[in-house]
Amino acid sequence: MSRIIVVTSGKGGVGKTTTTSNLGAALAKQNRSVALIDADFGLRNLDLLLGLEERVVYTAIDVLAGECRLAQALVKDKRLKGLVLLPAAQNRNKESVNPEQMKKIATALAKGYDYILIDCPAGIELGFRNAISAANEALIVTTPEVAAVRDADRVIGLLEAEGVNKISLIVNRVKPLMVEENKMMSVEDVLELLGVPLIGVVPDDEKVIVATNKGEPLVLGEYESVPAQAYSNIARRLEGEKVPFLDLMANQGNLLSRLRRMFGG
Amino acid sequence: MKRENRTTPKVDIRRYTDDQDGCMTFEPTISLDKIDDLPDSSPLVNRYSQISLKRDGEEMLLILPTQSEINSDLPWSETWQELKHLLKTKEQSWQLGTNVCLVAKDRLLDARQLQTIAETLEDVKLSLVTVSTNRRQTAVAAATSGYSVQQNTMSQPLIEPQNDSEETTTATMAEPLYLQSTVRSGVEIRHPGTIVIFGDLNPGGKAIAAGDILVWGRLRGIAHAGAQGNHQCRITALQMEFTQLRIADAVARAPKLRPRRLSPELAFMSTEGIRLAKTSEFAKNYIFSSPQKAWIDKNQAK
Ligand SMILES: Nc1ncnc2c1ncn2[C@@H]1O[C@H](COP(=O)(O)OP(=O)(O)OP(=O)(O)O)[C@@H](O)[C@H]1O
Ligand SMILES: [Mg+2]
Repeated sequence: MSRIIVVTSGKGGVGKTTTTSNLGAALAKQNRSVALIDADFGLRNLDLLLGLEERVVYTAIDVLAGECRLAQALVKDKRLKGLVLLPAAQNRNKESVNPEQMKKIATALAKGYDYILIDCPAGIELGFRNAISAANEALIVTTPEVAAVRDADRVIGLLEAEGVNKISLIVNRVKPLMVEENKMMSVEDVLELLGVPLIGVVPDDEKVIVATNKGEPLVLGEYESVPAQAYSNIARRLEGEKVPFLDLMANQGNLLSRLRRMFGG
Repeated sequence: MKRENRTTPKVDIRRYTDDQDGCMTFEPTISLDKIDDLPDSSPLVNRYSQISLKRDGEEMLLILPTQSEINSDLPWSETWQELKHLLKTKEQSWQLGTNVCLVAKDRLLDARQLQTIAETLEDVKLSLVTVSTNRRQTAVAAATSGYSVQQNTMSQPLIEPQNDSEETTTATMAEPLYLQSTVRSGVEIRHPGTIVIFGDLNPGGKAIAAGDILVWGRLRGIAHAGAQGNHQCRITALQMEFTQLRIADAVARAPKLRPRRLSPELAFMSTEGIRLAKTSEFAKNYIFSSPQKAWIDKNQAK
């Protein structure tokens, strides 16, 4: 059975779209078929991150209006077999789609793909409700910041109320050095508060921004960077594999702090 | 609710959230302020949580707020969301297939809205049977959809002049509200009785009770006990890491730095304001003094 997973956060700009594109690519690289749905109507940019912008012809709106078939609207990624994108219309607002319509599209796609990943807009209004309507699982993206975690907590509550109970957490933009110096919440702090299982930790890394600007998912890079590995690991954990979490401190910090860690300090 | 065992975090989250002046030493009496921002009227009747569900003999009553109690621009979807949340938090406190009487008062409900309510109740194995209303349109919609209807027309003189059903529930304390899950940010629980939370009360979450508040977990949000003025009410938690505690009209704010306590603590009203004590020590050391409207030290009282 295919899995319909919404990538959501509450707070804006924490990395939902980055996560959706990179995780989609990582899953495709592991030979799964993946359809990405851009549910951020009016502010779409999933196509940009994937470098597929110029190949968008139809959008979800055209499908709903009966102006094209679903299959026609899907943009195939030439670099990764099995990865397709259903773009959102940029010229429409969130009100142009309702939860039932989103559900129809996602369930239709679910027939042909192992994974349906839905890139949710920020906020908890209609756009959010559209994006979660079809989902049976959720990936919560948060950064280790109080405001982001607070919103993530709110969103988890809303998802639970909607009956989406399979919820995992991705902590994005972790800065090991800042955590080390007690200037940033640690992953443990975030987990302790949210009380949902952790599925990934992604470091704050400029390679993520470079890849975004190039429109090239990280897992397609010529060598495996730390963030690329983080996304591959999330993909493997989604598949049920037990993969240890990256020690983000490993290539940071000095000898002293590493020794301190070794001795549990 | 899944909850992993985790090590104690290195960082105190409050350090990031709190920009108030910190004090290095923690005084048991935190502060006693009159709350200015609370209206005099019963704080439990509020636009956030107006739907209530209570047992009435064999059946359950689902009580909607009156038109005047709700914010006029509060959309129907909000009411529905709130209903869903309410049912979610109260799930398992009834037997499967229990009949429900919807007390719609003066709310206008059309057939579709009634159906949504019925379906939402069905999801938690409750069945909508009766609709009680004083609006003709709602009565018609209910009857057409096959529900039994109790119509209380407005012309019928009410025994109490105003606010009939609410008064009776608040005068006598309602039965405790058991919440089976963590209260997350953005959620506000109001109850005209005692609230018991099996889980955490997270930052940004609020519990407001006419009675006591018991948190079988971490209390990190805002808890207000004795919200209708009862100074005897207490708040207890396995871990007290609150943002703010209130008992009746007193407020205690979280000190900036407070060492993590290992044993459960209890907040109560002393003569100098809200104080904290070890939960296990409280009963043997304190006794409530009605004239002083505060808990006093038993040993000193003698
Ligand atoms: N791990 C990371 N390291 C560095 N930069 C990152 C990381 N993750 C995301 N970013 C950057 O943060 C910005 C916001 O990311 P993104 O667009 O994915 O967020 P979003 O949650 O989808 O935002 P919105 O709510 O507006 O849809 C982008 O510029 C992105 O490159
Ligand atoms: Mg986005």
